Amino acid sequence: MSTADNCSSQPEANASIGRMDRPAELTRNIDVSNLVDSEGGLIDRSIYTDHTIYGQEQRRVFARSWLFLAHTSQFKKPGDFFTTFMGEDPIIVTMDKTKKIRAYLNSCRHRGVRLCRADAGATKMFTCTYHGWSFDLAGALKSVPNEQAYPEDFDRNKWSLIEVPNVQIYKGLIFGNWDHAAEPLEETLGDMRYYMDAMLDRDPEGTEVMGGVMKWELEGNWKLAAEQFATDWYHVNMSHASALMVLSPTGRGPKPEIVATPGRQFVSENGHGAGFPTHPKSRFDAKPVHEYYDYEMLRERLGDAAVEGPMTTGHATVFPNFSYLPVNGSIRVWHPKGPDKIEVWAWVLVDKSMPDDVKDAQRLYNLRTFGPSGIFEADDGENWSEIQAISRGFVTNQVPLNFQMGIGSEKEDGTYPGKTSELYSDAAGRSFYKHWSKLMNTPAWHEKKEEA
Amino acid sequence: MSNSLNIGSIDDIDEGEAKVIPGDENGTGNDIAVFHAEDGNFYALDDTCTHEEASLADGWIEGTEVECPVHSAKFCLKAGTALCMPATIAARTHKVEVTDDGLVLYPNVAANADA
Ligand code: FES
Ligand code: FES
Ligand SMILES: [Fe+2]
Repeated sequence: MSTADNCSSQPEANASIGRMDRPAELTRNIDVSNLVDSEGGLIDRSIYTDHTIYGQEQRRVFARSWLFLAHTSQFKKPGDFFTTFMGEDPIIVTMDKTKKIRAYLNSCRHRGVRLCRADAGATKMFTCTYHGWSFDLAGALKSVPNEQAYPEDFDRNKWSLIEVPNVQIYKGLIFGNWDHAAEPLEETLGDMRYYMDAMLDRDPEGTEVMGGVMKWELEGNWKLAAEQFATDWYHVNMSHASALMVLSPTGRGPKPEIVATPGRQFVSENGHGAGFPTHPKSRFDAKPVHEYYDYEMLRERLGDAAVEGPMTTGHATVFPNFSYLPVNGSIRVWHPKGPDKIEVWAWVLVDKSMPDDVKDAQRLYNLRTFGPSGIFEADDGENWSEIQAISRGFVTNQVPLNFQMGIGSEKEDGTYPGKTSELYSDAAGRSFYKHWSKLMNTPAWHEKKEEA
Repeated sequence: MSNSLNIGSIDDIDEGEAKVIPGDENGTGNDIAVFHAEDGNFYALDDTCTHEEASLADGWIEGTEVECPVHSAKFCLKAGTALCMPATIAARTHKVEVTDDGLVLYPNVAANADA
């Protein structure tokens, strides 16, 4: 399996992006410098509610960042496809005849109908249901009913599918970027790779996703969820108190040393974050999964620090909107659906070599804790929705939020790669918003006018 | 009298699959698709869909029908009949025989005709 090169094979089609030279009023940009104080740890609530800021985010954050598309195990043969979103842009991900993974805008080039309506499947052509324009797996426009009625200079190459020019894979995770000149995925991830490897690289065979995608809707701005998974262990003992009580072996709640656990939080300049308790006996919660693993072998493979930290319990976000939980294999995207709404898409990730009964145990544990009605998941969503529901109040909206925990605590600790802070800290949240505001204030590829 | 063409072993085409015999090989100038249908039999039609341009060999074989991969018109593999919109014109059939030496195609001989 491979990915497309750094340039689109439909350059003539992609030249249509922004072709009509739109008036500037449609793309008004706001200077967000005063809305994010990453040094002082203050965030203005308008960044969660304002529609202009939301539009600017689509253009300057989502249209130029590496966004998670799908897992390689979803594509086995040419024509296998999966439909998703990059920001609010609808995307078809498919395997072409040469087994390349390619991603296209899921919108017919004729009058814009959603081209592929299925969640996933296998096909030979993507044919529009409206007038029948039909595109092959390489995105080329192959059939135009009544084509002879078009002007002589009608050129099918120009009307092929818009292709995501940059698709790259990191250990089974497929990411796409609309910026063909974007820094390569692996460089953008940087030290985050070490923390991701603790989940993606336990098995020499790699990982796969099980079954379909669980999807649910929440009231809330997408950043509330992405930021929490980057930086927030703080909420665990409060928000998830009832779940922790139920799951403790005694039924009387976790031991004090577990509540006061030490741990680290990775802080990335590119906005990623990952936090995890550290303990020599860190283990997987689902019993069959715990019993399956040979922790000594994992120590050899990943190193002691990874096994005692980010391999099991913890949280992480790859900027901007891909998050995961290694202990239960939940990988998810926070799809923005307007400033006030998130669509959560969650997969269950397991090691390929696991026997089926262990995979199934992990899947059930995942559903019970972090599925759409999981006993932890519901706690988190409820908080984000409660933030959003009241945030349009005039006074409410101008009272800054606090991100001051652990200011100045970021350092190289000699054990974990990159800069880390304490487990209980807002450090990765501050850097998440710092990176967000940098992108928001910097023109993107589509804003640079071509030289004549 | 008409030409016939040995087009290989029956094992070359799995059930539910098809193979294209290019126009310059089959002598008609038009590609011919040979289908191994789900009734176990072999049938041949002009490969190009009668609606627009598409290779029926790339289509989906269901029972003794093929669905065009482009706009989903269906054709009867036995008679070539166009079974649904957007196709309205039948696909031309060609006779295929299973012999001890393998598959024999009779280009331009209708499926139900004598060779
Ligand atoms: S909108 Fe797709 S063919 Fe017309
Ligand atoms: S080309 Fe076959 S149905 Fe249109
Ligand atoms: Fe939580």
